[in-house]
Amino acid sequence: MFLYTLKRLFQGLVTVWFIATATFFAMHNVPGDPLLNDRAVSEAIRANLESKYGLDQPLSTQYFIYLRNLSTGDFGISFTQENREVNDIIREHFPVSAILGILAVVFAATGGILFGALTAIYRNRLPDFIIMILVILGISVPSFVIAAMSQLALVSLNDLVGTTILPVAGWGTILHMLTPALVLGLGTMAYLTRLMRSSMLEVVGSDYIRTARSKGVPAPRIFTKHQIRNAILPVVTVLGPSIASITTGGFVVELVFAIPGLGRYFVQAVQQLDYTVIMGTTVFYGAFLVFMVILVDVLYGFIDPRVRLEK
Amino acid sequence: MTVGSELFKIADLAVEFDTYGGVVQAVRGISFSVSKGQTLAIVGESGCGKSVSVQSMMGLIPIPPGRITSGSALLKGHEILGRSVIRGKEIRGSEIGMIFQDPMTSLNPTMTIGDQIAEPLQVHRGYSYREAFREAIKLLDMTKIPEAAKRAKQYPFEFSGGMLQRAMIAMAISCKPSILIADEPTTALDVTIQAQILDLMQDLQKETEMAIILITHDLGVVARMADEVAVMYAGKIVEHGTVEDVFYRSAHPYTLGLRAAMPTNDPEKQSVLEPIQGSPPDLFSPPPGCGYCARCPWSMSICESQHPEDYYLNEGHYTRCWMHHRESPLKPAELYFE
Amino acid sequence: MSVLTPADFERIQYHQKTQNISRPSLSYWSDAWIRLKGNKRTLFSLYLIVGLLAFTILGPVFWNVDPAFQDLDQVSQAPGTSRLAIIVNDYEAWNGESDISIDALRLVDRATTMAVRLKWDTLPNASGYRVYRNIFPVGPEQAYGIPLVEYFDNTVLFFEDRLDLKPRRYYYSVVPMDDRGNLLDGYQSIAVDPIRVTTLDEARSKGLLTNESTLQAGDSINLSLHPLGTDYLGRDMLARLMEGARVSLFIGIGAPSLFILFGIFYGSVAGFIGGRVDQILMRFADFVVALPFLLFMILFKIAFGIGPGESGIFPMLVALVVLMWPATARLVRGQILQIREHGYIGASQLLGAKTNYLIFRHMLPNTLGVVLVTITFAIPSAIFIEAFLSFVGMGVAPPTPSWGSMSNEGIKNMLTSPHELILPAILISVTVLAFNLLGDGLRDALDARLRNQE
Repeated sequence: MFLYTLKRLFQGLVTVWFIATATFFAMHNVPGDPLLNDRAVSEAIRANLESKYGLDQPLSTQYFIYLRNLSTGDFGISFTQENREVNDIIREHFPVSAILGILAVVFAATGGILFGALTAIYRNRLPDFIIMILVILGISVPSFVIAAMSQLALVSLNDLVGTTILPVAGWGTILHMLTPALVLGLGTMAYLTRLMRSSMLEVVGSDYIRTARSKGVPAPRIFTKHQIRNAILPVVTVLGPSIASITTGGFVVELVFAIPGLGRYFVQAVQQLDYTVIMGTTVFYGAFLVFMVILVDVLYGFIDPRVRLEK
Repeated sequence: MTVGSELFKIADLAVEFDTYGGVVQAVRGISFSVSKGQTLAIVGESGCGKSVSVQSMMGLIPIPPGRITSGSALLKGHEILGRSVIRGKEIRGSEIGMIFQDPMTSLNPTMTIGDQIAEPLQVHRGYSYREAFREAIKLLDMTKIPEAAKRAKQYPFEFSGGMLQRAMIAMAISCKPSILIADEPTTALDVTIQAQILDLMQDLQKETEMAIILITHDLGVVARMADEVAVMYAGKIVEHGTVEDVFYRSAHPYTLGLRAAMPTNDPEKQSVLEPIQGSPPDLFSPPPGCGYCARCPWSMSICESQHPEDYYLNEGHYTRCWMHHRESPLKPAELYFE
Repeated sequence: MSVLTPADFERIQYHQKTQNISRPSLSYWSDAWIRLKGNKRTLFSLYLIVGLLAFTILGPVFWNVDPAFQDLDQVSQAPGTSRLAIIVNDYEAWNGESDISIDALRLVDRATTMAVRLKWDTLPNASGYRVYRNIFPVGPEQAYGIPLVEYFDNTVLFFEDRLDLKPRRYYYSVVPMDDRGNLLDGYQSIAVDPIRVTTLDEARSKGLLTNESTLQAGDSINLSLHPLGTDYLGRDMLARLMEGARVSLFIGIGAPSLFILFGIFYGSVAGFIGGRVDQILMRFADFVVALPFLLFMILFKIAFGIGPGESGIFPMLVALVVLMWPATARLVRGQILQIREHGYIGASQLLGAKTNYLIFRHMLPNTLGVVLVTITFAIPSAIFIEAFLSFVGMGVAPPTPSWGSMSNEGIKNMLTSPHELILPAILISVTVLAFNLLGDGLRDALDARLRNQE
């Protein structure tokens, strides 16, 4: 297990290198001079930046300078905001995105597992139909529409009650986080519900559940001891990629709800063509996601004895 | 066999399944019984309904699409079928233990063997987890698994097939059931392992005096294990009797066909194995008469249109074949000459 | 039981060796098709998809309206609102005269979309006035709305609003100011419902009237029809939705077709050659999967660049293909590896089948089902991504409409004219729903056959 973790971490580092490289070359493909922007950079800064990033040197040299900076954790300085390091921007805005993301993942996972198990147990009965209709809606309606609709609903709810029960936008208290996190997690929740449902149905029809029933184990105990634990495994395996899609998908929700997260910052940086911020955030996000996936995989090993003991 | 010693009695059990293609009448009215310490073997080819019949009375077939349309199952004189099979909660695992064909998939992959064996004890006997686990180790020991204490903490994927089947048996007998149902317990195992498992079952039967209902398509296993045999074909029992009766005084053409298809180690009788021609009837629309009619070398016109009734040849040995009707021009003795 | 006669016991010959199988034998695809037809939800989704395609392709034939034309008389018009306009004389300037007595904020003349004329009486302490217009009542928090004019002169007691008036309810407020421009209490407010008007010249120039028409001022006339209303620039929603459908469906169907073709090629090469090549190829696919998807979509899009006047459809297509192929490649590779192990491949080889034959007769047809299901699920996700990116403003460049960019524009006016958001959102949702349902149905139909269930 330890060796397996180590191996995965090494693979993760290589993946991060790949992401960094892809980012570098993608950005260098952007037409135009990164320093020739609307906001003219002063000659001094320009010379400074040129020497720092080796912009006057061949691409390969720039690439190695870039990698060297990255390996020391230096993402550079923002092109549009003077004296602001990309690291500062990440440090300031990422926690917001992370909290939002974590809340959303928690919503999505608990909801998905619970609803998925319910639909499988009540297969083809009313709870199944109701939940599956909601799931289909959750999968089919884009998150920004749900976000906008929930804002409308909040506005009218607050109007109806006369006070602000849940804030419509902004960031700060836990109340601010609830709606955006729910909206953000909804799509994934729907996806996980479907996955859990089919996984659960497979487990319900499996030989070992028949064995458990032949032992006279009561249904509730079969559910908790035999079904959930086995059915949850495929859900856990996709949790890593789900975290990825939730955190990157977060920036729509951040835009709609005016949340000062990293995603919104990224969109802004792209609009202003702030090269270092774009590259820095991309690589940072990429690394974050890679290690989240590894973390989930390693945790998975603790749930599934086959993986734990073999690797 | 005396009526009083009957431990478990199934009468007129019928099971149907709704499927995509229509209703399948998997089991069409079967009756049998077992007594303490006895072994009943139910023999038949794939799809003849032998597994479905025991699984349905254990409440293990999914309902729907499955459906028990008639029948009763008396355990020690008490009806256990009936309202809902869930009454089996106290019966299953405690009065009747069951082992299945494929031990690889029949054990929960994420639970230790010991936990799984301990589970019925916790459920039925109210043991604490600790007690139950200690008992589970004893049971593993009883089923001759070496290093039982260590093995109990392992997961199914760390066991071989034969070991898993032993663990299954340990689990099935953990509450000292009066009946053990073994659904093709050796089909998925190597031949050498098969013998060990069968020996184990026999040893345990001697110790505990439990009855065994053994489902198999292997006549060798039947000869080795069974006291009585029920031969099933197309959802019905076509012949029933003691091993001697059924093997040496076979009264139904199908039983004969089965025997002819079985290899023998007697060099004098050794000949080419004779397969039974054709295939079993489609149970979507079972024939109105005898199910074996289309494959039977002695079929008569009545066989096509009407079910034969039970013809008793002696006590406990009956068959369902028109040939035994007193009007029949064909005499059963001809079975052995044609 | 009836009495049996000897005839009953007549021997019959082996009249048949086997029973006839009562079910007809079906090929893989015809069986799948029967299951598909039997599934109501799938059938429903098929109808939906046919309807959507008709809407996209045939729609413009029946509704031939320029999606870029701005009908400024009808801006942000919800579907189904009255199109009646009253013909009035040409505009004449107003100097604040009126014949009604003014004791508070009053409307002078009829309020029309051409002009709203207000007069008011002197307010206490006012050394000047500011006039506001809002679409909501002022309320306790004193939200006056947008300021229209400021008079640092307490003798000017009238105002004429000609700013972009719509036939809807407005709340005008006059707020007194002190001499430094600070607002004072004691505002007055009035609700006004301008009616839609047009002049004869305007109507004629828009082709609503023929020259021979005898309509006069005071008569009413129907403005041009917009069945689904208009957007914030007065563009016809129906025409734009059709145009947007072409963009969204082009990306939604084009990108998956391309990356799935590539994925099949890549995956089958990896699966078939196997060994070292397979390892390297699949490791590369793993890398691509690890890229943070949406960020890279945006990165690639700006990297490919959008020149002025370009719609950005092509960069989006390329970015989608570049990032989305690995899933298919993995799937196909897995299938190929699985099929290779099957007995019938060995049997075929024993019979002397050549590699090409194996690939085209056995391997590809057997991956087809899985691939088909992947395509149906890839389409909604591509549509989703397009919508998502356009919504963030990183997708299709305006003025090219796509459902996503229309939603993006719509969300800004969500409170006042929700149809601008809801209509494209419904179309996205319905399309995604239809393809998802179809995918489900296909998978069930093919899977059931594979597993021989039910």
